[in-house]
Amino acid sequence: MPGATNDFLVKIEQINLVAQNTFRISLKQSGISRYVHAGQFVNIKIPSNEILWRRPFSVHKINSVQNTFDILFNAIGRGTAALSKMEVGQQLRVLGPLGKAFVYPENTEEIIIVAGGLGIAPFLLLLQDMADMDIPKHLFYGVKTGSLACCVEEIHQLGAHLHLVTEDGSEGQKGLVTEFFEKYLLSLPVRDKRMVYACGPHPMLVKAQELVKRFGLKGQVSVENMMACGFGACVGCPVKMARPTESKFYYLACTDGPVFDLDEVILDD
Amino acid sequence: MIDARVHIGQVCFDNPVMVASGTFGYAAEFEGLVDINAIGAIVTKTVTLEPRPGNPPPRIVETPSGMINSIGLPNVGVEQFITEKMPFLSTLTTRIIVNVAGKVNEEFAQIVARLDEVPGIDGYELNYSCPNVKEGGLSFSADPAIAEKVTKLVRQKTKRLVIAKLTPNVTSIGEIGQAVQNGGADAISAINTLVGMAVDINSRKPKIATITGGLSGPAIKPVALAKVFELVQCVNIPVIAIGGIMSWQDALEFLIVGARAIQVGTANFMDPGAATKTLDGLLSYCRENGISRIVDVIGTLKT
Ligand SMILES: Cc1cc2nc3c(=O)[nH]c(=O)nc-3n(C[C@H](O)[C@H](O)[C@H](O)COP(=O)(O)OP(=O)(O)OC[C@H]3O[C@@H](n4cnc5c(N)ncnc54)[C@H](O)[C@@H]3O)c2cc1C
Ligand SMILES: Cc1cc2nc3c(=O)[nH]c(=O)nc-3n(C[C@H](O)[C@H](O)[C@H](O)COP(=O)(O)O)c2cc1C
Ligand code: FES
Repeated sequence: MPGATNDFLVKIEQINLVAQNTFRISLKQSGISRYVHAGQFVNIKIPSNEILWRRPFSVHKINSVQNTFDILFNAIGRGTAALSKMEVGQQLRVLGPLGKAFVYPENTEEIIIVAGGLGIAPFLLLLQDMADMDIPKHLFYGVKTGSLACCVEEIHQLGAHLHLVTEDGSEGQKGLVTEFFEKYLLSLPVRDKRMVYACGPHPMLVKAQELVKRFGLKGQVSVENMMACGFGACVGCPVKMARPTESKFYYLACTDGPVFDLDEVILDD
Repeated sequence: MIDARVHIGQVCFDNPVMVASGTFGYAAEFEGLVDINAIGAIVTKTVTLEPRPGNPPPRIVETPSGMINSIGLPNVGVEQFITEKMPFLSTLTTRIIVNVAGKVNEEFAQIVARLDEVPGIDGYELNYSCPNVKEGGLSFSADPAIAEKVTKLVRQKTKRLVIAKLTPNVTSIGEIGQAVQNGGADAISAINTLVGMAVDINSRKPKIATITGGLSGPAIKPVALAKVFELVQCVNIPVIAIGGIMSWQDALEFLIVGARAIQVGTANFMDPGAATKTLDGLLSYCRENGISRIVDVIGTLKT
């Protein structure tokens, strides 16, 4: 079946340090690169007997000529540290593509992306997916400090207006990314037909959701839950929904998400 | 050709490798990821009388060589199970075991009676680890008298296979095994998860919303082996082994100890093909060792 989720054995084509402690791995597998859409993820088996669960990563971008797809990650724990030490030519077990992708209404006239830290990961693919859409694309990208910002060149090449924000002011504007997102929304004369996409740390998502609701916009968010399986088998990744029914009380982050409409998902912890 | 068949009660299974309840959904989740019909039997996620939302997050946490879960048996209830989950399950050619749980003694039999009207089900696995509301939340296999009674009530409602699934969180699993045997169970499956806990030292909160949960995975395999060994010595009915089976070597250990069949659980999450790989490994082992029937390795422990 073309485009079906599968457990692929894939070869590492490239591994690069793209910002401080931030790694990008290119993996060759057309079964994923051809069919994946922004917001979907892969679940990767870490080659170590010590690590039981796979580790989920958003698909970061694709190269349709070379049939590769990339993941972008910080080495923050055992699994990601092990991944960062992998070498070109080694193989990984990769289950994917998994989950639901970002969508946009037909009549969208502008998109606004809000990314915090590694939350930037899915948005290069989103910009790739939307490359043919001739509408303004704003990307508010917040990091703690300039050395953590990555992909700046590519973001420009993909035609997005980048608003870089650092908490320490070392690059771009100083402050929190949601402050500049809010200022931008306030500056708009009309706000309909705009679609907001958010991914990043939990407090940032909560703030983005509040702003989207306050300004009456439409938007989607990508959430990160602990995942034992990534494909709906363990039922371990519940997300609260705004309008639960008796037979569907929670969403599953892995199969109903990780992308959710901002007006449907409850982001408390 | 290796003869992989095993018999449990009146049912002949093509092979002894099953998948454990709650780790394989209702099989549809695994379509395209594994050859479902090559698995000896599918044990469904627990079905209850009424729909259940399940527990609040966080429900799962990874621990050394294992995981703790407190999912809370979310499911659509028996009626919607029949209309929503059975259509796919009935297309499968392998054996279907529906795992059921009740809140009070009579509820197990009530659910089984309803399911017995539905074709395409080979048997039932009774989840005795769930809390007994009338007994202050103790599990149904905490008290041999209750375990025997519930099994009897179910036995009266069905001619299909009845498997009692036991918790290891008891003083004597052998005693409970004898009780369900007296109650008329065709087989025993063991073990369900061990009570476990994990704490976040930064927030000082438990890592599971319900504070404690069930430990599964490689960490529990030695415990499971010991419990299966104990059961095999205490009862005459077949024992189906569960607990930390990640490979064919693990499965073989349980067969040697005396299990008639095994269930692959947590391993399905990391590798959706874990069950068929386990079976393939067992078959290769038999081939390489000149064993023509898998049953010939069962209970061959040398002590
Ligand atoms: C759908 C989805 C997409 C993701 N995409 C990316 C991505 O593109 N890039 C990226 O760097 N990370 C991403 N993550 C998070 C990533 O999966 C975790 O950072 C990773 O699993 C950590 O593994 P570890 O072994 O290094 O950390 P561990 O040693 O297991 O844990 C280190 C810390 O990370 C936290 N953590 C562990 N697993 C997760 C998880 N699944 N979600 C959130 N926090 C976790 C732990 O609570 C702990 O505080 C994504 C998560 C999900 C669910
Ligand atoms: C996430 C999860 C959900 C489970 N759900 C159920 C369930 O609904 N009913 C049940 O009888 N056992 C359930 N179990 C227990 C397993 O079927 C099995 O007995 C246990 O996990 C030990 O086997 P393992 O170590 O191979 O996973 C669940 C286990 C896990 C990890
Ligand atoms: S991670 Fe297992 S169901 Fe979502």
